[in-house]
Amino acid sequence: MPEASDMINLNLAFLSDSEREMILEVLQRDEELRQAEDLRVKSMKTELLEVRKKGAKRGSGKYSEHSCGRCQESLSRLTVFSSQCKICNHHLCRNCRIALPEGSWLCSVCSKETDLKKRTGDWFYDQRVNRFSMTPGHDLVRVSLKKRPMAKKRETTGEVLLRNTEINPDLPTPMPRVRQKNQETDNNGHVKENSGSIASRESCESKEDVWSKPARSDTESAENNSISSRKTDTESDPVTPEQQRKESPPGSPVSSLTAPIQADIVMVDSTNSETNHSPEIISPSPDMDVDRLFKKSIKRAQKPPESVSTLDLRDECDTPAVSMGDRSRSVPGLDIQEDGEEEEDIDSLVSFHKRSMASSSYSLHSSKSTLGSMMSIYSEAGDFDSVEVSGDLIFSMSYNEPTQSLHVFIKLCHGLAYGDSSRQLSHPYVKCYLLPDKSRQSKRKTSIKRNTIDPVYNETLKYSISRSQLFTRSMLISVWHHGRLSRNAFLGEVEIPLDTRDLDSPHEECVALVAKSASAAPASAFAQYKGELVISLKYVTPEKPTSEKKGKKADIGGSGELHVLIKEAKNLMAMKPGGTSDSFIKGYLFPTKAKNTKRKTPVVKKSLNPHYDHTFLYKDLALEQLQEMCLELTVWDREAMTSNEFLGGLRLSTGKGTVKIGKAEVEMDSLGEEVSLWEKMMKYPDSWAEGTLPLRSTMVKGK
Amino acid sequence: MTDGDYDYLIKLLALGDSGVGKTTFLYRYTDNKFNPKFITTVGIDFREKRVVYTASNPNATTTGKTFKVHLQLWDTAGQERFRSLTTAFFRDAMGFLLMFDLTSQQSFLNVRNWMSQLQANAYCENPDIVLIGNKADLADQREVQEKQAKELADKYGIPYFETSAATGAEVDKAVITLLDLVMKRMEQCVDKPPADPANGNGATKLTAEQPNEKKCAC
Repeated sequence: MPEASDMINLNLAFLSDSEREMILEVLQRDEELRQAEDLRVKSMKTELLEVRKKGAKRGSGKYSEHSCGRCQESLSRLTVFSSQCKICNHHLCRNCRIALPEGSWLCSVCSKETDLKKRTGDWFYDQRVNRFSMTPGHDLVRVSLKKRPMAKKRETTGEVLLRNTEINPDLPTPMPRVRQKNQETDNNGHVKENSGSIASRESCESKEDVWSKPARSDTESAENNSISSRKTDTESDPVTPEQQRKESPPGSPVSSLTAPIQADIVMVDSTNSETNHSPEIISPSPDMDVDRLFKKSIKRAQKPPESVSTLDLRDECDTPAVSMGDRSRSVPGLDIQEDGEEEEDIDSLVSFHKRSMASSSYSLHSSKSTLGSMMSIYSEAGDFDSVEVSGDLIFSMSYNEPTQSLHVFIKLCHGLAYGDSSRQLSHPYVKCYLLPDKSRQSKRKTSIKRNTIDPVYNETLKYSISRSQLFTRSMLISVWHHGRLSRNAFLGEVEIPLDTRDLDSPHEECVALVAKSASAAPASAFAQYKGELVISLKYVTPEKPTSEKKGKKADIGGSGELHVLIKEAKNLMAMKPGGTSDSFIKGYLFPTKAKNTKRKTPVVKKSLNPHYDHTFLYKDLALEQLQEMCLELTVWDREAMTSNEFLGGLRLSTGKGTVKIGKAEVEMDSLGEEVSLWEKMMKYPDSWAEGTLPLRSTMVKGK
Repeated sequence: MTDGDYDYLIKLLALGDSGVGKTTFLYRYTDNKFNPKFITTVGIDFREKRVVYTASNPNATTTGKTFKVHLQLWDTAGQERFRSLTTAFFRDAMGFLLMFDLTSQQSFLNVRNWMSQLQANAYCENPDIVLIGNKADLADQREVQEKQAKELADKYGIPYFETSAATGAEVDKAVITLLDLVMKRMEQCVDKPPADPANGNGATKLTAEQPNEKKCAC
């Protein structure tokens, strides 16, 4: 949303003093109203969290679909198919439904959420963000240094202007409050937070570095500049002298390399810094709170592994959270300091809730029993009963030109194994995935046939997909026993590649079901094709080598820069209806303790082959340091209301040794081109090393 | 006035040429008074009013219920010199009162320009707007015919009202109509399946290839 900051640069010099004062007075009235509104929004948010906390099903547990998604009362068998909330798909008991006037109903949480979206005005702010984030013409450097867009979602022009020195030379409240807050939270916090400059926030060093070596930090120089420029504007600013004394490092040299860029930023900053930052740093920020409501937490890190694997697509999505701590969970606007276990708890509720929402709109043929189907064939924990596979499947496949869809006709199975061998029972159903997409959108299921090992379905499962896309795909058809109260059992599967298949003359085919092939649980992260990422890496050596310090991680040995040019992605997975994704790339450079090595590209909408042409810049790096570092790039599909979906990733490093990610020492498991490109970059500094790298389907570390 | 005891904070904004009566219109609406003096608005201003809104949309979850709505009515300077400032406020409003002076043909001709300003700067490309011809009481000085204005409003697909801040005629109705549009928009926004808020409903699917969405993405 570049407009927000562009707007602050409004030239208001044409205003006379009295006009300025009049406008200021208006803005202050607006501020009062806004503060009342903020309080209101906050209390509503709290209410919603209360509702959520009341016994909702959560991501970390397994639940029978025969229990209510909210209060977990068990449901009568008869009601199961009519008891789903149309938004979140949870099955619900009558008490947890909120009736709508037209006779339908929503679950208590969805209803509350919808209501909250209206009452907080988020329906409006979300649209506005969407509109302005699409504006083209981003300046690369500025964008990469810009703060998170979501945090500014609710920011209004009045708010921005009020903190503009041009219109408000006194800058009354924000500064002191900001300082107070920081001193409470962290002794060192002043370096990061107080600076209030975009440059510092997205600073290229790790937090650790900023703290340990303030004299070298770009943050400081930017900050000093912004302070001094503010000072010229505002002689009456009471905190400035103190701040400067306290923060300016003794004789800090401005890095000569980065100076030009800094200068730009500072220009923006000197007018913006207050404006942009105080609203979020001052505590009861509604932006954060409300955003958090609709987003997954970044802190839902340590979930038990078996719960992770109960969700199909989410295998890929969740496992990063386990191994990588909180960063992969992060969403725009949330990487502000977060504390409190309570939030974490709530967020995992929310995420589970939201997650199930995602399935609702995609497939016309999606089964009603969504909860049951979360137990996926891909669950690596093997959370299903296995039986001796037997029997055949009779089916046919054809491509329907008029509707541009692939039809899979499931006729019947015979001679299936018993899913419940002790009771000689089987309730088989057939499930299809159009590989490589193993997400929910790709899942189609037949009905469940009761008590038979020779089920006759005569059902057609359809996929909307263009014909040309089919050749890279294959159809995985599996048969499952629906364990009503127990676990589902895998009864066999068959995978049919579509590249060689004649889809014009459908003929019925009888194939023998086979046991799970090794491929069902991908042997490596690359087994599943997720598309490619075209990137270019360059290490820029410092112009004047500074004093050689061959220190380790904490020490900065030079002021070289790592440039990571994210060019484009190819063949990403479609996550949105219409076969597109709104993707962006997120980058982290490890090891780091803070999140300030996080970089993100703007979102490229509606493309599976998006061009980002965006550069991530990491500064103050010695070439030797890169030996021990790991650059992680992940591709995400942006979901405005729910959590972002993981589309693939890369891990660039030497592939040797370990790297500290969060608290854990993690092996650098880069492979193939991930290693060669990294090494090429280090071998030839000051020149671009470009590569087209296949995306990993999961960021989970190898065993 | 600024206590949080309301259900919705709705922000509307009045715009139009200088002197068409935006300020007096809003003054009439909020205080039910008329100030015939012309005091040019410096940049921006706003007034507030608390109203009770009864949902009329039959499909809305809110049908039949009443809500306390706190209206923040932004008043903008019509003068050109404040233009950069006032347009910056467009993005914060949920609905717009686009006003012209029935006794000034020029102010009516400028409606087009204001419309394009709105389309460029509002929160979405087709925000809720009502077209208002003010000063309807000055019948003898009238330069803009109702038919003319109505045609323009129809072209944009927005409601049209002829109001008089002096007598108060149609003032309430114009604002309430706009409020109703905004509230309905709000319902539509949240009624859509939230799984895919960025792309809107199924209709957008068909136009997915177009670079610019015509509809608001919500």
